[in-house]
Amino acid sequence: MKTKEDFPSINERKPEGQRPDGTPFRVLVVDDSMFVAKQITQILTSEGYDVVGQAADGLLGLERYKELYPNVDLVTMDITMPNMDGITALQKIIEFDKNARVIMISALGKQDLVKQALLTGAKNYIVKPLDRKKVLERISHVLSK
Amino acid sequence: MRVEYINPFVESAFNVMREVLQADVKRGDLYLKSTSMPVMGVAAIVGLAGDVEGRVLFDMDKPTALRIASAMNGEELTTMDDLAKATITELANMITAQAVTKLHELGFRFDLTPPAIFTGDNMEVSNQDVEALIVPMEAPQGKVEINVAIRERA
Amino acid sequence: MSVQTAERPEAESTSARKERAEKIDFKMVTFSLAGKEYGIDIMNVKEIASAGRFTYVPNAAPFVRGVYNLRGDIISIIDLRTMFHLPAERKSDDALESLLILRVDDHVFGVIVDNIDKVVGVSSVAIQPPHPIFGDINVKYIKGIIENQGKLYIILNVEKLFAPKKEAEAPVPVLAHAGMPTAAPAPLENRDVTAIPVDSGDVNADFIRETLFAFKRFGVSAINERWFTERYTEWSSSRKATDIQLKEQTEADQFLETFYSACTGTLWTEEYADAVMSALPRIESRSINVWNPGCGKGYETYSLACALRRAYPDARIKIWANDSDLLAISMAPNMVFTAEGVPEMYLELMVKGKNGWTFQQTIRDSIFFEFHDVLNSNPIPPVDLILCRDTVSFLSAADQRKLVADFAEKTKHDGAVILGSNERMPEDSWNRSGGGATSVFVKKA
Repeated sequence: MKTKEDFPSINERKPEGQRPDGTPFRVLVVDDSMFVAKQITQILTSEGYDVVGQAADGLLGLERYKELYPNVDLVTMDITMPNMDGITALQKIIEFDKNARVIMISALGKQDLVKQALLTGAKNYIVKPLDRKKVLERISHVLSK
Repeated sequence: MRVEYINPFVESAFNVMREVLQADVKRGDLYLKSTSMPVMGVAAIVGLAGDVEGRVLFDMDKPTALRIASAMNGEELTTMDDLAKATITELANMITAQAVTKLHELGFRFDLTPPAIFTGDNMEVSNQDVEALIVPMEAPQGKVEINVAIRERA
Repeated sequence: MSVQTAERPEAESTSARKERAEKIDFKMVTFSLAGKEYGIDIMNVKEIASAGRFTYVPNAAPFVRGVYNLRGDIISIIDLRTMFHLPAERKSDDALESLLILRVDDHVFGVIVDNIDKVVGVSSVAIQPPHPIFGDINVKYIKGIIENQGKLYIILNVEKLFAPKKEAEAPVPVLAHAGMPTAAPAPLENRDVTAIPVDSGDVNADFIRETLFAFKRFGVSAINERWFTERYTEWSSSRKATDIQLKEQTEADQFLETFYSACTGTLWTEEYADAVMSALPRIESRSINVWNPGCGKGYETYSLACALRRAYPDARIKIWANDSDLLAISMAPNMVFTAEGVPEMYLELMVKGKNGWTFQQTIRDSIFFEFHDVLNSNPIPPVDLILCRDTVSFLSAADQRKLVADFAEKTKHDGAVILGSNERMPEDSWNRSGGGATSVFVKKA
């Protein structure tokens, strides 16, 4: 008996989280809120991304990145965190790996903060509350470059 | 509290709550309360710094907090565990951050601190010498009082 | 900022605890209101009565059912159910109601309840602190909760309910109504609405004082007594003897018409501004701080800011302008004017925008408009000047005293206060400067 898989479907689309060769993109999620980390993780894994690490502050995020390197493709970074804030962590990660791809995800949307993050090396900036479609679009855009 | 600070908080409370709860939210009349205030059961506090000092307190009773956390997580939560607490804290964070962003556009330099959450009965949060603006919000999940106490830095 | 959580009493040995629990040291009279059980400390209960046919008193608060002749004493009767917005069955005027006659300090009055039950003795340690969930009544009126023989009683704090300070909720103490066939007018109970003792013997004047407070929250006191006396004389001589009383809001407004200051609700005229500025002492400091409570829409604030800017072009001026009327003050920071009708001296300090004329940034930056209730604490630095026109008078006499004391505290040693045209600061500590419509007072050394 033929099943759905046997018929090529025009509507079928590959999950965004996968590379052309089928392996998933590896993401490190840095946020001090358990809720936000869960939310981002859910959005990512639903599209086939592989969340390879989670960190609750900038310092831990930096350390995790160094441990995972070079097996990490993207970092999502919150800004207001204890111990080390997101902008400082971003800076240190870029210092460690100038090709690091970091996307800021924050509830703050101040113009000068956004500018500062982008100038320091962040590839994009997403403002919370999180919209699933927007998050996926932006991430996919950054990874395609 | 400076008149210019009021709207950003009111608007951002309305916008954020509507978006994360995906429901109609209503605002009650604003009023002023002085110093020591009893708390309803769950309180999330975000500190403010910069041109001013103060804090924003999100006050609600436990059942409301659980219903809101459940709605935001897309699953039913029955106790105020770490996830539920993190969810309420994040709501407080988003509302305050959006207000701070708006205020920044108006030329006021505010910063916020990572939020904290307190749960318990018969709590009182006391601030020496500060008057608070109360923004009562009514969501399908229950009532949330947003309590803003700001003092200009001398 | 501190967070305290309620603590449970320390664990004691069971026998010691049992001993304490058995000690009955609080007796209360219990009664019911809208289906729930309540109790009042028996020390506050003078007697229990059953009565009807209370004499209605006009201009009293809605929960005051009237007055009653209790063996010669005229006392007010309060319906607790109306006061707490609870459902109450309306009996006919002749039917008998259950009354508790209470005494708080020297004040005797009666309260109507649904049913009076009995006297219950309990141990005061067993009384729990109030929790909003337990009552339909505002928590501050509840002293505590206690369980006794299967029933849950809410203990009312009668002092809070009927203390003289509580203006909005306290019963209007009753003056014998002119039409009552009984005793001669009883003296006004000790309340803080008026600071003047009622020996004026003029019942009409006293009634007008009360009505002014009830309708307009205008408190006659030493601050505005002079104006009130003159106005009352004027008013009563121009009206028929039976028509003196203020029966509704519009009449109260009419009475108050002559009270308001010059240039209310508009930018100050050149003459008024000059008169005020010349009455003020010269301010020596380079940093001028001003407190402006009750600024309303902000006209007087801008007027003063401009006058100060002209008089002290090099000083740094900072004005804290407050009002508790959010609607009025929220438009103040962005006030827009049309060129006609604005005196030339202000136009010089304004800029033209697409919506009209607004004050220059330097003027606007010198003013902080704040939504604030003047009775709450306010951490401003010591000020050179206080501008407070027609605001002090719209408080109860107790609050007026508090505010005036606050003025003394918040001004620098040579500070000045500008009040409304018909208001005066206490002579013992303030010197009047200037005259006429300007009410400028300088602190005495």
